[in-house]
Amino acid sequence: MSAPPLVVGEPRSWLGLQARLASNEAAKGVRLMWHRRSMVVVGVVLNGLTYLGVSLFIGGGHIVKPLMVLTLPALLAMVVASIAALQGSGGVAEEIYGGTLEQTQLSPASPHAQVLGRVAALAVEGLASAFVLAVVLVLWFGLDYDLHLAALLPALLTVVDGLAYGLLIAALTVRVASIGAITHVFNMVIMVFGGMMVPIAVFPDVLETFARFIPTALGVQALNTTLAGHPLGATWSDGTLPWLLVHTAVLLAVGLVTYVVNIGRARHEGGLSPR
Amino acid sequence: MSTGRTSAHPDSLASAATPEAPAAIELSGLGKVYSRGRSSVTAVQSTTLSVPWGQVVGLLGPNGAGKTTIIKMLGGLVTPTWGTVRLGGYDVARQRRHAVRQIGAVLEGSRNVYWPMSAWENLLYFGRLKGLRGAKVKPRAERLLTELGLWERRHESVGTYSRGMQQKVAVAAALITDPPVILLDEPTIGLDVEAARTVKDWIARLARTDGKTIVLTTHQLEVAQELSDRIAVIKEGEVIADLPTAELLSRHAENRFEIRVAGPLGGLADVLPSGAHAEPAGEQTRVLLPDGDRQLLYAVLNRLQSADAPLVSVAQARPSLEEVFLRLVNAEPGPSGGTVDGAADVTETAR
Repeated sequence: MSAPPLVVGEPRSWLGLQARLASNEAAKGVRLMWHRRSMVVVGVVLNGLTYLGVSLFIGGGHIVKPLMVLTLPALLAMVVASIAALQGSGGVAEEIYGGTLEQTQLSPASPHAQVLGRVAALAVEGLASAFVLAVVLVLWFGLDYDLHLAALLPALLTVVDGLAYGLLIAALTVRVASIGAITHVFNMVIMVFGGMMVPIAVFPDVLETFARFIPTALGVQALNTTLAGHPLGATWSDGTLPWLLVHTAVLLAVGLVTYVVNIGRARHEGGLSPR
Repeated sequence: MSTGRTSAHPDSLASAATPEAPAAIELSGLGKVYSRGRSSVTAVQSTTLSVPWGQVVGLLGPNGAGKTTIIKMLGGLVTPTWGTVRLGGYDVARQRRHAVRQIGAVLEGSRNVYWPMSAWENLLYFGRLKGLRGAKVKPRAERLLTELGLWERRHESVGTYSRGMQQKVAVAAALITDPPVILLDEPTIGLDVEAARTVKDWIARLARTDGKTIVLTTHQLEVAQELSDRIAVIKEGEVIADLPTAELLSRHAENRFEIRVAGPLGGLADVLPSGAHAEPAGEQTRVLLPDGDRQLLYAVLNRLQSADAPLVSVAQARPSLEEVFLRLVNAEPGPSGGTVDGAADVTETAR
């Protein structure tokens, strides 16, 4: 019997196909988020209450608005990063144990396209949660921000930095299933050293240097500088923006490479399904 | 072991010396060794197999024999330590993007689909996962869900379905792009009788009506016997038998007679000669004579007639696939590297 004709047409453009496959992955992630939307709402409420508790503790029982103006961007960045890490890691682990990670590999999609689709879905969840928190807290406490274009680049880089952190954690989960527990520790470190409790600028020098390696910390610093009315150039001249660019690029590259390498290793070890 | 067909990439057919279409599945010297710390485990030894289009191959073996590893290497989910896999002429390692579009798979012991999502959402996702556009996927998803009796509940989460319905969704997801090759790893495991029957009927339809090439692993040997055109038995990572199902069974046909009479055993045992064996077989009684002696056969038939036992059939004894399978996997290796107890004969493959 001769080979039957292929029913799947050849794609006209490899890039176009990969873009479609990535958007399919992103749409799946958003659908899965929608199916657990009650958990997303609970997460937003808990993050908000934790932040208010910390703010009251730092303010000695009072909300100090000037301090809140500086720490709120860090909360929002932390929310994006922690959701990316927890849901990214949890999603990969669930897919390994559920067998769907193997099914996703029966696709012409490159691992890069698939993981970027995943990250896009995590971005939607993180940004939606951060947006709700920002609107509620700003309106509730009457916080005043000088929003202008100079803040856009630091804001964007902060989000990408946080997502890249989530990507790296998700990539590690492919081979280290127990990474989920460690992720909570990493998220606590971001909470403490990312500027959510007190601005990084008031840290002792040693801690400030340490904080520069923490995902989102540099972004929050640059964001606070521009939101205070300083031009973007100020973040460049004080070294925050260049380091933020490097930090984001390196984290993103390491996350992508780790994911692709770990998928390849898992194929060698038969680790795409429960071990 | 294989038919040794030359495979050619479809794009290169024009320049190929023989314009023969590639086989659906071509395994060449395929092997897999898993590293476990300092030790290693050979899951699959050098396996060569060629499956033509439209054939149903039953891959049988005891637990840990290497069936699932072979299925996963076919899909590119496990990287072989040595050897190659070609699907429709595409090398899974080097032309993965094309190769994976040839297959749909239902894998063992896993959900295969997203339980929080609905059946409809799952089918759209898996269709697009293979690169199809939504407009092409939707009509097929509608047809599959209607045929499987899931259309009315298509928007409910798969997690709320019964196990049988979930497996139907997994089968539908594997078929959503109408791939020519289907890999089914224990597709009826854990299903109740009715659900298993539905899935089995579907597999039969895929094979007989739709002409799909199917690789099936199952521990339910009656399912394998009913569905498979060909059986490959694997033991400790090695193919020890690879033959058309009928030929495998006939090779193990015994040189003795089997008589079937209607009704229960009753007092039949009293009229049988020594060495003959009677056992119930459904609503009949199966009498196995000790050898192929025709005089003895006539004598027993006379005795049965005298005892008013209603004769149903007389035939050469043919073992079930289960009996053949057990003989093969329990046979000890012979001195020449083959197997004893007749199994050495079947290590030869179909030509």
